[in-house]
Amino acid sequence: MKTKSLRKTKRTQISTTHKDVNHQALYISTKLQENIQNITKSLGQSPDIIVRECRLGRQNQIQAAIIYTTGLADTKLVNKFIIEPLLTNHQNDFFEIQSKHEDSLHVIKQLLLPVGGIQETMNFDTVLTKILSGDTVLLCQGYDRCLLIASKGWKQRGIEEPTSQTVIRGPKEGFTENIATNIAMIRRKIKDSNLWLESFQVGRVTKTSVSIMYVNGIAKEKVVNEVRDRIKRIDIDGILESGYIEELIQDKTFTLFPTIYNTERPDVIAGGLLEGRVAILVDGTPFVLLVPAIFTQFFQSAEDYYQRSDISTLLRVLRYFSLIISMLGPAFYIAITTFHQDMLPPQLLISLSAQREGIPFPAFVEAFLMELTFELLREAGTRLPRAVGQTISIVGALVIGQAAIQAGIVSPAMVIVVSITAIASFTIPSYNMAIAFRILRFAMMTLAASFGLFGIVAGFILHIQNVCHLHSFGVPYMYPFGPNNTEDKKDTLYLRVPWWKMTKRPKTASEKNVIRENGTSVSKPEPEGSG
Amino acid sequence: MEKAKISAIQLFALMFIFDLGTALIVSYGVTAGKDDWLSILLGMSGGIILFFIYYPVYRKYPDLPLTSYIGEIFGKYIGWIFGFLYCISFLYIAARNVRDFGDLLSSSTLTETPLLVIHTSFVLVICYVLYQGIEVLGRTAEIFLFVLILLGIIGNFFVLVSGDITFQQIRPPLEHGWGPIITTAFPTITTFPFGEMFAFMMLMPYLNKTKLVKKTWLSALICSGLILSWTAFLNMTVLGLDVMERSTFPTLATIGKVSLFDFIERLDAIVVLTLLLTVFFKAAIFLYSAVIGIVDLFKLKNHQQIILPVGIILIFTSMTIASSFSEHLEEGFDASIKFVHIPFFIIIPFLMLVISFIRNYIKKRSNAK
Repeated sequence: MKTKSLRKTKRTQISTTHKDVNHQALYISTKLQENIQNITKSLGQSPDIIVRECRLGRQNQIQAAIIYTTGLADTKLVNKFIIEPLLTNHQNDFFEIQSKHEDSLHVIKQLLLPVGGIQETMNFDTVLTKILSGDTVLLCQGYDRCLLIASKGWKQRGIEEPTSQTVIRGPKEGFTENIATNIAMIRRKIKDSNLWLESFQVGRVTKTSVSIMYVNGIAKEKVVNEVRDRIKRIDIDGILESGYIEELIQDKTFTLFPTIYNTERPDVIAGGLLEGRVAILVDGTPFVLLVPAIFTQFFQSAEDYYQRSDISTLLRVLRYFSLIISMLGPAFYIAITTFHQDMLPPQLLISLSAQREGIPFPAFVEAFLMELTFELLREAGTRLPRAVGQTISIVGALVIGQAAIQAGIVSPAMVIVVSITAIASFTIPSYNMAIAFRILRFAMMTLAASFGLFGIVAGFILHIQNVCHLHSFGVPYMYPFGPNNTEDKKDTLYLRVPWWKMTKRPKTASEKNVIRENGTSVSKPEPEGSG
Repeated sequence: MEKAKISAIQLFALMFIFDLGTALIVSYGVTAGKDDWLSILLGMSGGIILFFIYYPVYRKYPDLPLTSYIGEIFGKYIGWIFGFLYCISFLYIAARNVRDFGDLLSSSTLTETPLLVIHTSFVLVICYVLYQGIEVLGRTAEIFLFVLILLGIIGNFFVLVSGDITFQQIRPPLEHGWGPIITTAFPTITTFPFGEMFAFMMLMPYLNKTKLVKKTWLSALICSGLILSWTAFLNMTVLGLDVMERSTFPTLATIGKVSLFDFIERLDAIVVLTLLLTVFFKAAIFLYSAVIGIVDLFKLKNHQQIILPVGIILIFTSMTIASSFSEHLEEGFDASIKFVHIPFFIIIPFLMLVISFIRNYIKKRSNAK
């Protein structure tokens, strides 16, 4: 399935080697001016590339050039810790040593520059990439190597509260657009030497850095290898958001249900890592992916683990109901009012049919119109500029409220059904899962309008078996339910047992090292008066 | 043959739902009078006996489906013919199940909808599931097992608290002695819900732990038998013999009698839902058995390519096996039991057991020499 598209991209990967296209030099030459020219030419003489030429050494005998990009490199850092030490250490004996060792690059690296990350390279392509990702390059006359000095530093958004998944209790920090910050945020939560990180560069043009993180020894090796392979097989010109990666590596493309989890919250990622999952971080987006993902995961909020277990269980049951309402609410209304009027108690039936007295549409059209209106309002609400956002709620309240009823287009009961459905669909913590059920709702409405309850149940069977056949990185999507696993049901769709009962990690992602806590060491106070 | 495996729990779920399919809803065993619940229990023990006819043969060929090992027992050609007949009989029973369901639906809720439309949509859903394979069917069954148990609890609760139960209706027990009870239990009830489990012989190679067959089969059989007997008991206490004899869907009538606070009434949906779910799995298993039987006999590559054609045959069979619902029921109690259930689920398996024993015996003797 997914391999088909990947195979196609693989073929292009072999045929295109980027360097041939631009006729660039492959390696750095020993001549400084040639190198500078090559670099500026390759970058199209862009004025934001700063080339600072200078002479080093006691006799000013070494010609050198420092190249960086304004805006990407931290100018303060470049001036103070790269240019300043190079120029002010003239009088020192550093370069005397050079005559003995015959390698002034080595001397500069070892003795002169007070900067942490310094690499050497001969590869011209790497030089360009590094310049464009904010590092500083030091070239010297007579060397076919150069120094790459880490000097990334650009303006970025600070750590803020995540907007997509809010909680009442729990950490309020969210990921940012900077991958380094994001990694640090995860590391701050798990300070274990087994938390391993692997980095890749994906995107022929964007050269986006993508990292995977997992806890070695807990995560299934098979899953880690699979993730690594799938990321390596990606060949695309650009990755601008983790959504690109998600779509390229997911098990099955044409399904409504997300098989990869995404979140803005570091605590959710840390929790997932401890369960043995693998996190995929992409530079430039606060949304981090988590695999393997199972169906129930999308109905869990981070807060479930911070509130007491009984409360969390109740909340999960509530969400479970709201899931059913958001999928089947309007469908049930249509089915009952069109086919199964006899199922209603007489009084309710009378009041319903009295409401529907002057309505010109069949229940299905009525429901469809209202649902469509609501979806329009919701979409408009997310796209509108903040300043005009207020209008939408006013217009919305009028359209799917009083005015529509007074105009005799829809019945009041229909408005109630649509509103309840709308509210229910917002309780699903994961946005992309909520979308799946929004779409399914329309299919269910159509089925209900043609076959009544039978249509709903047939659609429901189809839906269940559809999710049953999905996989996420080798894990069945409906995992603790089908295939059944009683142990793992302790933390699922409707249940969250106390922490001291969840002694084992879910088998979803971890196989060895499954003991989460030692059951005997639960600290409970002695009952009062016993001592 | 697919390269799929199902777990013992999934097999249990499939078997349990399979046994409840149609039997939970339709009327059968009324010939035993007020003691039909007793004859269902007897029929269940008959089902256990049947299992011990099937099991020794299965133990010899744990990795082969029925259509393959029937050839080993009866010889290549006769075995092939028997295998093909089995496929047809599975298809026939699947058609009967679809028809049962379609008739219930068109008589209870979808009175205006043509039968063909109901059958087509139902069979298409089955075909889609089978297209995904036995693994998905197993997982789906696992999930719906909980839904069914929930529906059962709700239904039972409402019937019990409704106050419609009168124990006078089942008194006196053994009114006409053991005679009618035993003649109903053997062979009708033994074969109708319980003997049909022979279709699982086609699915056995998919089980991941062959040792668990006995445990799974017997526990599913006993659980479903007890539930069926309990349902029959409830129906009799609520409806009485008179109504039971006349109604085609006694459970539907029982639930229909529930009326609480003038608000909770017309709970037919629970019964229709139960029937839909159980019949769905039952028909799916029969269709799947028929399909993989055909794949096995004709040496096709995979089962997916013939699911839709066989599904269409199923739709037309279900439409044409009877001209009306009463004719369909008549056939079910008479011809179907006599010509399909008894020969295919009792006589041929018994023959297979005997022949395989004889073959074994001959082999042993020739080995000893």
